[in-house]
Amino acid sequence: MTGRDRFHPDVQRYLDGEHVEGVAQRDIEEADRFAKAVLEYGASAEAPDARVDAAVMEVVRARVSQREGSFWQWLVQPNLVRIRPALMAAASIALVASGAALVSLLPRTSPTVADAVPTVLVRFELRAPEAMRVTVTGSFDQWSGDRVELQQNTATGVWSGTIPLTPGRHEYSFVIDGERWLPDPMAHAQVDDGFGQVNSVIVVGPRGVVRS
Amino acid sequence: MMQRLHILPMLGLLSVLTLAAAPAGAQEPGIAAQLVARGAPADFADRVAQIVASARAEALPTEPLEFKAQEGWAKRSRVPPERVLAVLQQLVGRLEQGRDVLRDAGLDASGPVVVGAAEALGRSLTPEQIRDVVRSAPDPAAAGTGLTVAASLAAQGLPAAAAARAVSDAYRSGRGPEEILEFPSTIADATARGERMVDIGQRIMQGGMLSSPGGSMGGAGTGGQGGRPPGMPGSKQGTKTQTNKP
Amino acid sequence: MGDAELVRRVLAGEVELYRVLVERYRAEFGRYATALLGGDVDEAADALQEAFIKAYDSLASCRQPDKFKAWVFRIVTNQCHNARRRRRLHAPLETISTPASETADERLNTGEVKTAIGAALEALTEEQRIAFVMKHIDGRSYAEMAELLNVGQDALKMRVHRARDEMKRRLEGVV
Repeated sequence: MTGRDRFHPDVQRYLDGEHVEGVAQRDIEEADRFAKAVLEYGASAEAPDARVDAAVMEVVRARVSQREGSFWQWLVQPNLVRIRPALMAAASIALVASGAALVSLLPRTSPTVADAVPTVLVRFELRAPEAMRVTVTGSFDQWSGDRVELQQNTATGVWSGTIPLTPGRHEYSFVIDGERWLPDPMAHAQVDDGFGQVNSVIVVGPRGVVRS
Repeated sequence: MMQRLHILPMLGLLSVLTLAAAPAGAQEPGIAAQLVARGAPADFADRVAQIVASARAEALPTEPLEFKAQEGWAKRSRVPPERVLAVLQQLVGRLEQGRDVLRDAGLDASGPVVVGAAEALGRSLTPEQIRDVVRSAPDPAAAGTGLTVAASLAAQGLPAAAAARAVSDAYRSGRGPEEILEFPSTIADATARGERMVDIGQRIMQGGMLSSPGGSMGGAGTGGQGGRPPGMPGSKQGTKTQTNKP
Repeated sequence: MGDAELVRRVLAGEVELYRVLVERYRAEFGRYATALLGGDVDEAADALQEAFIKAYDSLASCRQPDKFKAWVFRIVTNQCHNARRRRRLHAPLETISTPASETADERLNTGEVKTAIGAALEALTEEQRIAFVMKHIDGRSYAEMAELLNVGQDALKMRVHRARDEMKRRLEGVV
């Protein structure tokens, strides 16, 4: 740790997931080490297992039988909420028949399917002069994180690239140096990712995308 | 007219993914195998697969869940696995809410429409606004597109009622989903030129129609304002990024 | 299946479905409870068990089934608080709690770090510890924390910021 007894307010905001500029790299690294150490501490701690569930259900059933005399309410087996394969197949067929998007049901691993769906070229840009590597990732690359690299214009510090996307809604994020996830300030909208960060959203029309 | 150069590297990796064996007991070999191939522990992958299978059993769309699971794994340096599972459950709940809005009115609750309805609810569109968009659309896929677009318009600052009206009016006047998909770009373009969402919203509620980017509002000739004073949003960058399919 | 529907069906008599809720929130709140109880997983298991039984007993009074999660979360937090108080009354916290998974084989510095983090957490105020665990171990957003704790986001940020500073002081030289 850098030896001061508190985090700089901008570093606090960085740890809160906000986008901050002008923070010393050393302070960022210290903050990242701190967050990582705590996360690892949490991950390494054992968490209570399913024996809790079993113990609770025993008591709950006892409560029920107390109320109902000796009659156990075994109306529903616990595994009803899982699916039997035959039922799953029937549901898939029903979805196809109702006209749901075929692309989502057919395996995405088939090259011929991907070829058949029309795509539109969309340009992504981010100003990040201090970055060493910038990628863009999203639903379109199954959130690989690092597969789609942008190229830097060293004069302007702007990273850019062009990606073919299908028309429709796409959620995505930039990743700086493989570590920092950054939304696109020029996206149509931002959305809470549910994990404490923010993803960007664009809606691609057949003729391309205009962003502000 | 495929630009293969960008897609091929992705396909290469995807074919590798198909070779990965599914973890034992997986009921959704696709998503579980993908996660395991990316280094996820088998029990996590199995739990994800169970959630997805359970959703599929309720006839809920599963693609949003798979995307979210992949995203959660990609962000694992900041996100504990239990959080990913919890978020997936939340997503199931939101999809159920979307489906209920449709079913409660006897409307088609197929995959894309449910996804769109869930998104629209998340942007504070009311059930009635959602149903109106669905009724105006020519088919279920278009309904899903319409709801997704309405949600985006609302996120971009258009009042929810205007966002829904923009889409339903367009469908009722015979326009198709390809045109509707341009609306978020239209609004982004308008924002860049300094137009106010509340003004556009009012014009929509009075019957004005959104058009393609660059036109903003059709019919009344109320295109964007020329020349923005410095300091107004969009005046600094002026980065309009428009790419056209050849 | 969502929480609201599960609660409705359990109250309608499908008692076995309660297990789905227990499993779901035991998984989601398990690490939180363990961290609040100084890494003692057995105590956390007891606290969770008590919490879920209490929740079942007053399930009919959970007036908003779609807010079940926040409701159960508060019961769990309360149980953890009670467990800590019982511990304090019965035995002074003289030794530093270590996470259950630490073994002699772990490298010395890794064990040191984890011991230090565990000790630092114990030194926070209860409010700070709860907020810090929710933010940094559970990875929750402030919006979600606000909903679960029924506290404003600004107040939560202050608690987390102070907790971080306190942790930083105690982890000086270790992390």
